[in-house]
Amino acid sequence: MIGGPGALLVGGLLLFLLLLLGTRGIAAARGLSSKSDLPLHDDAAEIVPCPPEFALQIFSRADWEFASAIKSHKIAKLFRSERKAVALLWVRQTSAAIQRVMREHAQATRGSGDLEFTTEVKLVLRYAELMLLCGALFLAIQSAGPLWVRGVALYADSLSQHIADVQQAFSATTARREISSIGSS
Amino acid sequence: MLSQALWWSGVAIEILLLVRGLRGKLASRYPIFYCYISLVLFQEPFLFAAYRWYPQIYRNVYWTAEFLSLMLGCAVVFEIYRVGLSAFPGTARVARNVLAFLFALALARGIAEAWTDPRWWMEAATTDIEGALRAVEALAIVILAASFLFYSIPLGKNLRGLLLGYGFFLSTSVISLAFVSTAGNQLRHFLSSAYPASYFIALNLWLAHLWSYSPNPVPAASVRLEQEYQRVAAATHRRLQGARGYLARAVRP
Repeated sequence: MIGGPGALLVGGLLLFLLLLLGTRGIAAARGLSSKSDLPLHDDAAEIVPCPPEFALQIFSRADWEFASAIKSHKIAKLFRSERKAVALLWVRQTSAAIQRVMREHAQATRGSGDLEFTTEVKLVLRYAELMLLCGALFLAIQSAGPLWVRGVALYADSLSQHIADVQQAFSATTARREISSIGSS
Repeated sequence: MLSQALWWSGVAIEILLLVRGLRGKLASRYPIFYCYISLVLFQEPFLFAAYRWYPQIYRNVYWTAEFLSLMLGCAVVFEIYRVGLSAFPGTARVARNVLAFLFALALARGIAEAWTDPRWWMEAATTDIEGALRAVEALAIVILAASFLFYSIPLGKNLRGLLLGYGFFLSTSVISLAFVSTAGNQLRHFLSSAYPASYFIALNLWLAHLWSYSPNPVPAASVRLEQEYQRVAAATHRRLQGARGYLARAVRP
């Protein structure tokens, strides 16, 4: 009924979770007195580990063009490695901020008697999506650099725009046909 | 020789656990767990007697005892759930829903497999059936442990020990039982000695954590009104949405 790989997965996952519980349990129990279960304030809605202008600059081509205009291989190499380190740090900070949001949510609502299963599942799914996005960004920056990530994003953006245009044109044509067929009948 | 030493010291630890449980009034707080330990302890002489003097019925006695402890093990999981989440009714409801979904899924899969291959139930070895039941039990503990971690539920020393010990024993059982029927002689020998060794480790974990009573920490305040929860959930949703926009704005033009 459950094969070897399935059993390994369940057993391994359980061991991993127990290890986490064992190491975090003591810290969580100690930190309880300092943590409040009061609800989040609405003004805590922002999630900005660093200013957006700064984040925009990390993936911008302008600095790269400036550095490459100097025509020094060393400076170009140094720029790439520095920019990569900053971009990775930014992803880590953003990911930590997202984790903090979810942790605060869990701590604020864990005692609530009205916790809704569907709402919680939706939030967890959104959280998982964001963590996956951060993971993918981290891998992409690590393997190809922040400029490539921006290039891919630009390509994806233009592609999605193109698809949206085609979709819109298709919808408009279909609607026109439907109207004309209704008119003729 | 080693297995004999493990067996005898295991019996000694079980007796010590029961004595400490009764003296420290832990048995009244975790009655199912202490019933489980008592059952394991008191079935030992029966198993020994059957093995020594009635070998023809040993197999039946062994599997009856094994299934009784398996059923009580399921009740231990329920006890962990009941005690751990008693101060967190909402989290308990979420865990209950996930568990119900999981059991429904396991049941549906079992029925589907029995439907497509009706001989499975007749041909399956007892270890296969026990392995399947233990796997469901392990999945239930996975859900519980994940809920405790996700909601940062504070666990007292006793409950943490109970969960760690039983979870460890269960995870090694699931892995051993899945491979024992297909393994070669050497691996089977290793797995059959790993099983009592993991139980021995679990007993030591229980003894260390259940030596005296330690209450579960209770949070100071809680969100009571439905509007409060809705407000917090909406704020979290907004913040996550904001994070998504922030990520997209930085990377996209």
